[in-house]
Amino acid sequence: MIKKVLIANRGEIAVRIIRACREMGIETVAVCSEADRNALHAMLADQTICIGPAASAESYLNINRIISATMTSGADAIHPGFGFLSEDARFARICERCNITFIGPTSSMIAASGNKAQAKKTMMDAGVPTIPGSAEAARTVDDGLRLADIATYPVMIKAALGGGGKGMRVARSRDVFTQAFLTAQQEAKNAFGDGSMYIEHYVEHPKHIEVQILADKYGNVVHLGERDCSIQRNHQKLVEETPCEALSEEKRKAICEAAVKAAKAVNYENAGTVEFLLEPSGNFYFMEMNTRIQVEHPITEWVTGIDLIKEQIKIASGEKLGFTQDDIQIKGHSIEVRINAEDAEHKFRPCPGKIELAYLPGGQGVRIDSAVYSGLEIPPFYDSMLAKLSVWAPTREEAIKKAQSALGEVIITGIKTNIDYQYGIITSPEFVSGNTDIDFIDKFSRK
Amino acid sequence: MELRYLFKKTQSASGGTETPREDQGPQTPQGLFHKCTKCGETIFSEELKRNLFVCPQCGNYFRMYAGTRIDSILDDGSFEEWNSDLQESNPLGTPGYEDKLARLRDKTSLDEAVVTGKGLVNGHPTCIGVMDCRFMMASMGSVVGEKITRMFERATEDKMPVIIFTASGGARMQEGIISLMQMAKTSAAIKKHSDAGLLYVTVLTDPTTGGVTASFAMLGDIILAEPGALIGFAGPRVIEQTIGQKLPEGFQRAEFLRDHGFVDDIVTRTDMKDYLTDILKFHENKGKFKSEKVEKIKLPKSNTKLTPWDKVMISRGKDRPVAEDYIKQLFPDFLEFHGDRAVKDDKAVMGGIATFAGKTVTVIAESKGHDTKENIERNFGMPSPDGYRKALRLMRQAEKFGRPVICFVDTPGAYCGLEAEERGQGEAIARNLYEMSSLKVPVLSVIISEAGSGGALAVAVSDEVWMLENAIYAILSPEGYASILWKDSKRASEAAAEMKLTADDMKDNKIIDKIIAEPENLCENNMEVVVAQLRDGISKFIGDNEGFDGEELAKKRYERYRRY
Repeated sequence: MIKKVLIANRGEIAVRIIRACREMGIETVAVCSEADRNALHAMLADQTICIGPAASAESYLNINRIISATMTSGADAIHPGFGFLSEDARFARICERCNITFIGPTSSMIAASGNKAQAKKTMMDAGVPTIPGSAEAARTVDDGLRLADIATYPVMIKAALGGGGKGMRVARSRDVFTQAFLTAQQEAKNAFGDGSMYIEHYVEHPKHIEVQILADKYGNVVHLGERDCSIQRNHQKLVEETPCEALSEEKRKAICEAAVKAAKAVNYENAGTVEFLLEPSGNFYFMEMNTRIQVEHPITEWVTGIDLIKEQIKIASGEKLGFTQDDIQIKGHSIEVRINAEDAEHKFRPCPGKIELAYLPGGQGVRIDSAVYSGLEIPPFYDSMLAKLSVWAPTREEAIKKAQSALGEVIITGIKTNIDYQYGIITSPEFVSGNTDIDFIDKFSRK
Repeated sequence: MELRYLFKKTQSASGGTETPREDQGPQTPQGLFHKCTKCGETIFSEELKRNLFVCPQCGNYFRMYAGTRIDSILDDGSFEEWNSDLQESNPLGTPGYEDKLARLRDKTSLDEAVVTGKGLVNGHPTCIGVMDCRFMMASMGSVVGEKITRMFERATEDKMPVIIFTASGGARMQEGIISLMQMAKTSAAIKKHSDAGLLYVTVLTDPTTGGVTASFAMLGDIILAEPGALIGFAGPRVIEQTIGQKLPEGFQRAEFLRDHGFVDDIVTRTDMKDYLTDILKFHENKGKFKSEKVEKIKLPKSNTKLTPWDKVMISRGKDRPVAEDYIKQLFPDFLEFHGDRAVKDDKAVMGGIATFAGKTVTVIAESKGHDTKENIERNFGMPSPDGYRKALRLMRQAEKFGRPVICFVDTPGAYCGLEAEERGQGEAIARNLYEMSSLKVPVLSVIISEAGSGGALAVAVSDEVWMLENAIYAILSPEGYASILWKDSKRASEAAAEMKLTADDMKDNKIIDKIIAEPENLCENNMEVVVAQLRDGISKFIGDNEGFDGEELAKKRYERYRRY
């Protein structure tokens, strides 16, 4: 069993991992940048090592420094959290070579999932439904035009090695394809250093549905139900919930079983998420596999009662899953709202600064995952997420009421946050009706 | 009180980090990382290997082991090693030499400083030699010289090309005069290989110096180099100590050698295999003539109202396509080779090889730029002696490999300047006329805009000379003509009429063989019709000359110029 974990991350996820380790009697090592000396994760861990200057490339993304910190601290495992190095196959590979347990899948699985064209082909071969389009990547406009004809318009152009919405464009017809392709390719080259573009049919007004997977090293794979993450702004999720209202029992079974099939196709191990697009028609298509813990994992924990971080650690330690698919019962409804340090009135620009007062609610069925406290200085160098509020109640109606009530209690002063914006979303009739798709925010913002 | 002092920490059953680590605990294995000698960055070895031993941070080129190099160039499993069991000798009885060799053999698993053999590069057979600096700085002793010589002898016998990746500190001191003789021995073997019409390519890698530079490294038909490689005869430290001066930045680097005319091209590791594949393909002579497909050309109507002076102005027009534009359209696989192997790379002349109508051709072009910046770089298309010598070098190369030469002529005249005279502008032009007159391959010259005097003729002693409709060809500029004859350069337009410099005049005087029709205001956007005529014409020229007799060609060319 793992004895000491180094957490190669910051913010609320680092805190979340430290808490899980503490409950398991595992020692924790935090790493922090010079800008994060007073960050909660740095103060909460048993041991903290400052690994470099504020810039991520010099600290949280610097593999050599993180490996050195692991060696000097005597940690035998690294939890990468999400973002930063969590899906960096090279990092996982170096951990493997240094005999450090990487709490996540193997480096080859990460590499395989990171190349979307390759991943899609694997899924097609495994019989998981995928979006119409070619598995081939386009490097030139001519290639792109040819592939777009196969995929049928409207088409989505996206970077083969991409993520986070960079290097993505929709072209509704052949006339506008060239311009869209070149813009997306330039973005891709800038962001990922590679101009291979993937072109597929653009699914209109879908819901973003993802299925949580747990897989051990012995081929046991279970799903923990789905999450509806349709409420997104620029491909960044804002509000997530589970279960998804739009799925019939039959459809839920189909999509969750497809996710298990997808995980088995790549011999997946540890926690992962299989993302699908669900069309209004009920058709669903595999999008990608996220080979890490997700931001929105607490809502799955609410409805299943399973601690995903602890499961990750147990799987990485070589334990078998302690339950079967039949043991997993989805109960009630859960909603998560992300609270970010950003100015909703000014194009959501990040708003770092000093938090004067942080008052966070509690009570039955209310959970806060956060790394803020009164007096903390939020540095400008990293992601703007401050906290996640998640609630559980037996029904969706009750969960919405609880989320509204709890969010209404959150007070963070000193910096601008998106709390009011989020409150607007979860009190809007469109959200309450459950009739949401990934264009929700577009329509909501226009009102 | 800070929060950090208030939180209760984990009660560890293990008692913390003091517990002795189990054997299987985390540890960094030997060789997991490499440190870049240039930027100091620690690099994950697997990544460095994937990146062909180029630092992903700063682009620094690590020296490559011979085996890794062979893997990066040859097709998997295609390498057959030769002469790995030659007996070492200690001709001067240098103490400890045998022991040193034995130790190195153990440590490097190499038998000597060069690995030779044959293999396939993307399916193209070649002999290959790769030097490895780990073995006594890849200095050339008798075994190195012998392995290289035997490789050339076998390549000559089997009619195979040779590629050598050089890297060496020079002669091997321990073998003294015997080492020196290796320079002569290898050079002699290469001469025989070359006389048999066979291809030899060298790739100079860091560092290539001393007796290796002064023998087989510099004798390639095509000499490539890796970026930043140190290449020289005397080492920089020796030079500094001898002349008592600090050497400039970049001195003796690959780029310096290219600019000074000794390296055909600098090729990155990522591109190396494909580049060598192209070179091998271009020299395999397997190509059969295959007429270029040209749609029926609708010739533009010529504007009969233009005066000779109008044509002078048109030929100098700034939007008129330059040689590079024609090369791009007609020879998309053109590989440019640089340098005259003596002084510098003159950018007023471009040259290289390409395939056309299924055949390999040599392309040489006097090159103007598109704008002022490019024109300054290309010296407004006015070649220096180095440019003519580069052209001649490439023509001789074409003759060796039996491929047609296509020249594009576009120059106001040979460069008139101090250095040009110092290096023998007159001699360079004369030499080209002399050599071109008896070149044993078909030569075609196309005057695309301006053909000024000897500077133009130096690439236009050809079997056929063609001219674009509005190009001009003259003994000197109309301005010069007016000022010599009438002491008034302003009468240039009058001179233009008198000089008979238009394409029609040339055709009438049998100076040229063909006129290429032009659309009005010829520029990059409407050049397709000109390109189509050239494509069609060059295709016929190559077809007509298939299976040419070099002596016959030279004889005809002699007669052509004899008649004026």
